Amino acid sequence: MSSNRELAMSSYVGIGAGLMVIVGIEVILTYQHFPPRTLFFSLLCLACLEAYVAIMYLMHVRYEKPILYWTIFPATLFVLIFLCYLFPDAFRMFSMRLMK
Amino acid sequence: MSQTELSIAAGHEVLMEASPYGIEKKKLGMWIFIVSDACTFGAFLFAYGYMRIGAPVWGTPFGVSSVVNGVVMTAVLLSSSLTMLAAVRASQADQKATVNKWLGATMLLGTIFALLHLREWLKLIGEGWRLFANPTGGPAQFGATFFSVTGLHLTHVVTGVIALGFVLRGYNQGRYDQSHVETAGLYWHFVDLVWMFVFPLMYLMNAH
Repeated sequence: MSSNRELAMSSYVGIGAGLMVIVGIEVILTYQHFPPRTLFFSLLCLACLEAYVAIMYLMHVRYEKPILYWTIFPATLFVLIFLCYLFPDAFRMFSMRLMK
Repeated sequence: MSQTELSIAAGHEVLMEASPYGIEKKKLGMWIFIVSDACTFGAFLFAYGYMRIGAPVWGTPFGVSSVVNGVVMTAVLLSSSLTMLAAVRASQADQKATVNKWLGATMLLGTIFALLHLREWLKLIGEGWRLFANPTGGPAQFGATFFSVTGLHLTHVVTGVIALGFVLRGYNQGRYDQSHVETAGLYWHFVDLVWMFVFPLMYLMNAH
């Protein structure tokens, strides 16, 4: 169960407004005509920030026992980072005899 | 009567080790589901990211109106997360009427989000974009990735609205308690969280 240290509803509205501000920054960045790679990583970083806030406050992980956080997040991040690391290898498939 | 209740009724002490997580089984199950689903969306978005950055030519069909539509959809989904939080709070305080009000509002906002999303889809389909077709004659990856990722997310939203309906009915009939509302809320916040990645990467990256 979540502890009683939870925020007041007005604070959650403030968090929601903060998330919308980040969305506004993302829209502004979109029209700065950055190269696709720069824009992609900028948007990804901002999305990760939004996700962190949502996980911690909206999904109440901040108010659960730390073991939940340490069980779930390092493992998930490891899988996602490893997925990102291994994905380029998939392109090798196009030059393999099997695909010709 | 469950075995635990029978043991208590018979005057036996129940020896059960408490969960190290301090949360209910259903909530832990939902967390495990969320982790697996996050990996699924992660795989889709990584695949899209590599293709988007690697492709020399890419379709960018979204004008200002589509971006504004996307911002409105984000606001609607974020608002639905707040109404879901209010529903969970009300269920913890055992305020049935308030739970009905906020869960109903969450379902309504989820439905509005789905309709706005469908409107965007129909607009693209009207312009000739398909899963494997690009009306401008360029590569078809935009349609393939956009309809796949947003379709998967839309499926989660629609499933969530239906699930919330079941939880609401069960809660009103007394079959479900606040822990069910909390677990459903966890899923709903996850759907919101995924959109925080889908909107910038699928919409904003493809705006002209």
